[in-house]
Amino acid sequence: MEFSHEVKDSYAEVRADGRLNMVSAPKLREYVTDVIAGGSSRIVVNLEKTGFMDSSGLGALIGCLKAARQAGGDLRIASVQPQVKMVLELTSMDRVLTSYASPEEAFSND
Amino acid sequence: MTDVLAQRSFRGLADLDAIESVHDELDGLWEDAPFVQDVDQMTFATAVIESASNIVQHAQPAKALRPVELGVEISVQPTLLQARVSAFHAKPPFGPMTPGTPGDDSESGRGLALIHALVTTVTFERQDGTNTWVLTRTSQD
Repeated sequence: MEFSHEVKDSYAEVRADGRLNMVSAPKLREYVTDVIAGGSSRIVVNLEKTGFMDSSGLGALIGCLKAARQAGGDLRIASVQPQVKMVLELTSMDRVLTSYASPEEAFSND
Repeated sequence: MTDVLAQRSFRGLADLDAIESVHDELDGLWEDAPFVQDVDQMTFATAVIESASNIVQHAQPAKALRPVELGVEISVQPTLLQARVSAFHAKPPFGPMTPGTPGDDSESGRGLALIHALVTTVTFERQDGTNTWVLTRTSQD
């Protein structure tokens, strides 16, 4: 999995391209923690190229959400693909991790 | 006799590299059996990776000097997907084998429930020091 991020006007967009599994989940946590430490607590995780996520990956997103909120911000997800959507729905975590069609929409109403 | 249309297998040390190898075997299986519907590929692959990850994360070696090995055998049959996901040289599982219901802010504990939601049957076997999850998914046709 490859990570990158871009700081926008009102949020930071983190891209997580590849498989979000027990191999990459700790790396996502670390990456997002560093972005938050860099001063961006409003995070959008762009999952456009995340073709797979398991419960480890889901756990990492929840950990990142908690870290963002503890820093006074929030974490939202965007461009969710079918397998990730399925995992979110089957675990009912789609109630907790708010999903948006695009990164631009995630904080557009705040 | 069972009519196996495609099959893949993996065996190796139960470590993080093994998870990526199982992903690769699953990708190869779907290339060999492109007639399997996308929803069946997606759900079954997720269940197999969850089971393999459970072994890598939790399986304990039965003997100190012999590490746990992960074995995965996946087959495509006309109306059935089946996987045997095994922990070789492992102690019997410690702790509950039933799905948990973690709170919304919990970062773990959803794997077993997810496996049960994704497949048609889940059974567990222990024989000769090997723990095996047998997962089946019946085609949605």
